[in-house]
Parts: sequence; structure tokens; C-alpha cells
Amino acid sequence: MKALKIILFVLVMGTVSSVMLVGVNSFTQPLIFKNEEVKLKSAVLGALEITYETGSALAIFNDKVRVLDAGKTEFFISRDGAAAFEFYGPGLWGPISGVASINPDLKSIKAIKIVSQEETPGLGGRIAEHGFLKQFRGKEFFPRLVFMPEGKSSAVNEVDAITGATGSSRALERLLNSVLQKNAGILKEQLNNR
Amino acid sequence: MSPKKTVKRSFRNAKWFKALIAGLWQDNPTFCMVLGLCSMLAITNRMDNAIAMGLGVTFCIVFSSLLVSLFRNVIPSRVRMLAYMVIIATFVICVDRFLKAYFPPISEELGPYVGLIITNCIIMGRAETYAIKNGPLLSALDGLGCGIGYTFMLILMAFVRETIGFGTLLGYRVMPGSWVNWVVMTIAPGAFFLLGVYLWIFRTIAKKTEA
Repeated sequence: MKALKIILFVLVMGTVSSVMLVGVNSFTQPLIFKNEEVKLKSAVLGALEITYETGSALAIFNDKVRVLDAGKTEFFISRDGAAAFEFYGPGLWGPISGVASINPDLKSIKAIKIVSQEETPGLGGRIAEHGFLKQFRGKEFFPRLVFMPEGKSSAVNEVDAITGATGSSRALERLLNSVLQKNAGILKEQLNNR
Repeated sequence: MSPKKTVKRSFRNAKWFKALIAGLWQDNPTFCMVLGLCSMLAITNRMDNAIAMGLGVTFCIVFSSLLVSLFRNVIPSRVRMLAYMVIIATFVICVDRFLKAYFPPISEELGPYVGLIITNCIIMGRAETYAIKNGPLLSALDGLGCGIGYTFMLILMAFVRETIGFGTLLGYRVMPGSWVNWVVMTIAPGAFFLLGVYLWIFRTIAKKTEA
């Protein structure tokens, strides 16, 4: 009898709290989806270097960006032909995700934005800083993008790595090389097919 | 009209006032009970994170204490821990969804630590040591006191860490341009040092007032 009472209590409590949470969820879900959409689209606009204001990201995105769905990858193409896409892969401590954009020649980088990373703050964490990312502008990723020791980069496919963050630099180098070359190939095919 | 009577009437001796004030000083969750340190080390790197976390934890303590106290005669003692967990988890998920929906940047900064409020010992501790034995009003006030006490420590930590770790306060630049950020303050080890210093200061003061 006592055991029955306990089971009944647990069942009732579980049901009540579940019903409450379903209510909260259905109320907040649309807002959360919208926040995620705004975040992605703002990052894409940032990578394509289209200026926008905080409230107007969605409208400007719909106006100026064309979405090309290539199966696994979605490409976001701006009016001048530059294409942006999301990338995602392992860093040194945790996943790195971001948005990269390439110029219409499909050989060089327009911009790289890091959306989230968990590298060491102040060392590897600097991969997300503007000062580090701006050096990627116009760099070519064929045959491959090379991270050089800080201050040694000179060729058109070389950028400076971060001193003291060899692991994070290498992880980012590997990630960018694989994703840029692969996506440039896919995009070329897609554009030729049309 | 003896002085004793006026003391009795004063709110300072009222039960509700004692319940509220306990968490602020002599039973402060951080420097007296030394609970809830995990999240304290993790999220006090910036002031806005600390305030959001403090409010979230306070909300969860107040309402879970209130509910535990309301149902204290219904909850079978063998499953009381389970009951605390379900009640606390419900409120924590509410806080998490609320932050995700209305304050996405803060939600992102806090990351998994919003969900981990569930494991914050302060909430469970108040339920087990206070709310299960006392009335709803007193329990809610006790929870409020502990929540404010915890928030107060979070803000003290974040104040120092953000100022010297990032050179900003609530995102505004407060340090001169030539200031070199102390990176160690932005990561957990720096928080450990700072927490140690604070515990030292507060324990020294507390010893004097207790004696």
C-alpha cells in the first residue's frame, strides 16, 4: 500500500511537471528558432560583407542573398557572385564553427567568421578575433592554405599562425583546407550544371 | 513599556526577517556554506553573465523552496530527493528556455551552465535543510535570502574579473587604453585565486562578528 502511494505520487508529479514544460516549450520554441535563424543569417551577411543593422538582418538577407541548396551544403550567394557557407569541425579543445565566403573566382577567400569556438581564451581563442581573421582576405586555398609561424607569411596562400596556440592553429588550418577545397568543388559543379 | 517589549516588536527579531537575512551573511551560500562554486568559477568572467546567472538561480531557489514547502506533508520521505530534483529541474528548464528565447547572447555565453543550475547544491540544500521543515512563506524568504547572497558574491567576483581580465565593465571600457588584460582572470584558475581571497576576507570579518 505504501509502495503504491509512492508510485502514484511520482507518477502524478512527473505528469504535472511534464505538462508544464510542454506548455513552456510550445510558447518559447518559435522564438528560439527565430533567434537561431537570425544568428546564422547575420553571420552569413558578415562573411559576405553586406552591411546590416541589428534589427534588419532578415530583411536584408532575403533581399540580397540567394540560397543555393546543393544537397548536404547550402551556399549563400550574394549579388556580386561571392558564395558563403557554414563550416564545422574539431578544434583543439572543442568544436569550431563559422561561416566562410569565397570570391567569384572560386580560388580565393573573401572572409572568414568564427561563430563559436572553445579554444584557450587569450591564446587559441584569438582565432575568433578580427585582427587574426582579416589576414585571410584574398588568400588562395589551392593547392592548400598554409599557416606560417607568426610574421613569416608572404606568399598568396600563406597566413600567420598564432604564436603559443600551435594546436588551435593547426586544427583551424586542417579544417579550413578541407572545407574550402571541398565546397569550392561542389559549388563549381553546381554552377556548371545550371 | 520596558525595553524588552520594544525589542520583541522590532522586525529585526521577527522570524521572517531572520529567514531572509540568514542567507545574506551568516549562512551565505558561498563563503559560509561554500556551495555552488562550480558555476561561480565558470560564469563570473563578465558582469552580465553573473547577473543573469544570479537572477536565474534566485528564481529557481525561491520557487523550488516554495513548492517543496507547500507539498512537504504530501511528499513521501523515501522519494523526497526525487521530488526535489523534479521540482528544481522544472524551474531550471523554464529559466533555460526563457533565456534562449529572450536573451540569446547571454544564453550562449552561459552555455551549459544554465542547465547545470539543476546540480547547484544551494537549491537542493535549501530544500533539504529548510523548506521540508518550514512553512511556505518562510521557505520562500529563506530561498530569496540565499539567492541574493549568492548573486552578491557572483557580482563581486565578476566585478574584479571583468575589470582586470577584459578591461571593461558591463561591456563598457573602464580601464585606460594602455591597460594589458590579465588573461588568467578570464579563465577558471584566476577565479579560484580571487575566490580564495574573498573567502579569506569574509571569513576574517565573520569571525570577528561571530565572536
